[in-house]
Amino acid sequence: MFYRLSGVRHADYVSDSRIYKVPTDRNLAVFFLIIGLAAPFIIPSLYLNSYMLPWLIWTAAALGLNLVTGWAGQLHLGYAAVMAVGAYSAIHAARFGVPWEFALIIGGLASSVIGSLFAFAALRVKGLYLAITTLAMQFVMDWVLSHSPTISGGSHASLQSPTLTLLGQEITSDRAYYYVAFGWCVLVTIFMLNLKRTGLGRALVAVREKDYAAAILGVNSFYYKILAFATSSFIAGISGAILVATFFFLAAPEQFSVNVSIQVLAMVIVGGLSSIIGSYFGVALILLVPGVVNTVVASVSQWLGMQVNVETLAHIPNAVYGALIVVVLLIEPLGLGKLYGNVRDYLMVWPFDQLRK
Amino acid sequence: MVNLIKHFKVVVLATALAAGGTVASAQDKEPIRFGLCFDLSKSYTFISPQVAQAAQDLAMYTNENGGIKGHPVELIVRDHSNEPQRGVECYEQLKREGVFIFNFLSTPVTNAVLPRAMKDGNILMQSFVGRGDAVDGTVFEWVFPVGPTYWQQAANDVAFIKNQMGGDLNGAKIGFIYLDYPFGQEPIEILKTLSEKEGFDLELYPVPLPGSDQSGSWSKIRRDKPDYVISWLLAGGHVVASKEMRRNGFPIDRYLSVNWLNEVDIANIGEETAKGILRGTNVAGGQEVPMVKTLLDTYYAKGEGSGPESLVRDVYYNTGLAIYSVGFEAARIAIEENGWPLTPESMKAGYESIKNFDANGLMAPVTVTPKDHGGGGKTRVEQWNGTTWVPLTDWSADYLDVVWEVIEESSKTFSVE
Repeated sequence: MFYRLSGVRHADYVSDSRIYKVPTDRNLAVFFLIIGLAAPFIIPSLYLNSYMLPWLIWTAAALGLNLVTGWAGQLHLGYAAVMAVGAYSAIHAARFGVPWEFALIIGGLASSVIGSLFAFAALRVKGLYLAITTLAMQFVMDWVLSHSPTISGGSHASLQSPTLTLLGQEITSDRAYYYVAFGWCVLVTIFMLNLKRTGLGRALVAVREKDYAAAILGVNSFYYKILAFATSSFIAGISGAILVATFFFLAAPEQFSVNVSIQVLAMVIVGGLSSIIGSYFGVALILLVPGVVNTVVASVSQWLGMQVNVETLAHIPNAVYGALIVVVLLIEPLGLGKLYGNVRDYLMVWPFDQLRK
Repeated sequence: MVNLIKHFKVVVLATALAAGGTVASAQDKEPIRFGLCFDLSKSYTFISPQVAQAAQDLAMYTNENGGIKGHPVELIVRDHSNEPQRGVECYEQLKREGVFIFNFLSTPVTNAVLPRAMKDGNILMQSFVGRGDAVDGTVFEWVFPVGPTYWQQAANDVAFIKNQMGGDLNGAKIGFIYLDYPFGQEPIEILKTLSEKEGFDLELYPVPLPGSDQSGSWSKIRRDKPDYVISWLLAGGHVVASKEMRRNGFPIDRYLSVNWLNEVDIANIGEETAKGILRGTNVAGGQEVPMVKTLLDTYYAKGEGSGPESLVRDVYYNTGLAIYSVGFEAARIAIEENGWPLTPESMKAGYESIKNFDANGLMAPVTVTPKDHGGGGKTRVEQWNGTTWVPLTDWSADYLDVVWEVIEESSKTFSVE
């Protein structure tokens, strides 16, 4: 009833390969797009710039990782390192005087080159071995950043980002930052939505399911794996650069350390592998819930006037947050995206499925 | 549960009275609010509970004695788990609640918030964390890292060693063992400059994170036989170093640590084994300091402290008291000079008017100026005698010209556009 199927007929291939086969899905997407565009006018600035903004940027980044891990099935533990390459290259380019539009692309390309170079060596092994090799990339990048002041920028390795300027406009207000992040996230989402109906997307899925079976079908699995790494690294690089340019305003190695890599992977897994809407949910859970739970616990204890030790107070949210992840994965091992899918499937035929019972 | 019910009764009663407009508050003046966004659950837990507890005790004591010029101090403590994103969130949230004095007590988080604080013009307290060149008040107008930088600490350490060796370092050999990441690498440049200036040999011994594997470094130290080893290690790193020192026959009283060495590390090394270990510091250790003694007698003797008493018997508690007594002093001067309401501008002016303030013997006297937000960078060397810390020297800051050259060279590369 809510996702009405009556009257929806696919009489030709073009119609059958639409992004949204059910009108409700399309309407929902348009609805959220409008909400997203109107957000700066309806959401208080605190939530806009410290929740929505990082959420959108990290979602774009998580979608990039989802491409390589969810679609192509290659475990990647060095994703934050690739983001760092993009962030540092873009900032250095911008500091050098390159316009930001090109600086961002330079960041993306630099990430792409380094990410796929590593993949070139790493892809000689598979599965867990590949995971460890990508982890090695993370450590190499950490070492390079903490040992080369020219890259990481002087005192305590922090590199100040110049003011973001796009299309001749200086971007300095909260709204403007938000729209940059929003624009980038929408772009990546559109790309990912289209990916699954292209030959590239189908080839990646074939490689994921069984790479030598794909090879028998004439899909060059090595080529497509490299392509997946290069594309996802490109997305990572630009996301990293935008993260620094609109949120942190300076790049430091800790923003791209190994635990960040693990976090992005957690976002993808909790959200659901190869689920786009899942990435949105996963990022919200991993990135935002700790802060939200923290605020809730703090205000509840303040409201009750309990004299709780500050340390205890800090650990309760962590426990709640950990439990939340376990509960989500117990209820639906395929992640939050599948959880949404279940609801959607149920509502698709509701209430007519009740008649049979 | 009984407590909870009682509390609810109080709340209900208070609301009823407030509605009737008959409540007269004991402290009807507006509070001075400090934002403490600390890492209370991840990497900085070796220090943050002590600092938070010290700040709370000090605020409690201040409020019970009339507050700061009649205004009570309010501390807002939040956890950011050492994640830059959550630190920014904490900053943005407290900023909107009217807080303009912040402390993040974590290098990655302070770094992430610094550009915002500089743009918004909010006070950033960052003693011992963040970038060292922030003591340059002409560039970092809103940042107050009162206390010695790592550069200054290293320079003071060299001056101490020079003193111990009869005033001449020619031909002497000083080893520098450090964690191989920005925290440990920071003093290297200054040590190199000083080794050229004073004519001593400098040997570098990098130790990979987290500092549990040092065997290679110490067997090299055994061969090199340095006169002193300056150590930029943290927590467990000192314990491993002490074992290696024993194994390699290096005397522990020639081991001079950065200020990050506390009673917990001493207990792990063994109180007797650690006898003689040296520590450069800007804060007096032990409980014989008047301020610590007062708080122990007023609150902990009656079991009314803000946390366990064991945390008070820790030099990081004294460090926390030092950070916040400077902050409270700045607020006092600010209100005295410019009256209420306290603003970021008057708070900044208050900080920059602090002269020779040592919190009644708690710390090295600091004089903050518009140019020097570090307060002079004085430290002294203390030695563990088996039960407590014994000062070996007086408070002093040496090689100021060399240190400031490095500070200015670094701070000029920073720019907020």
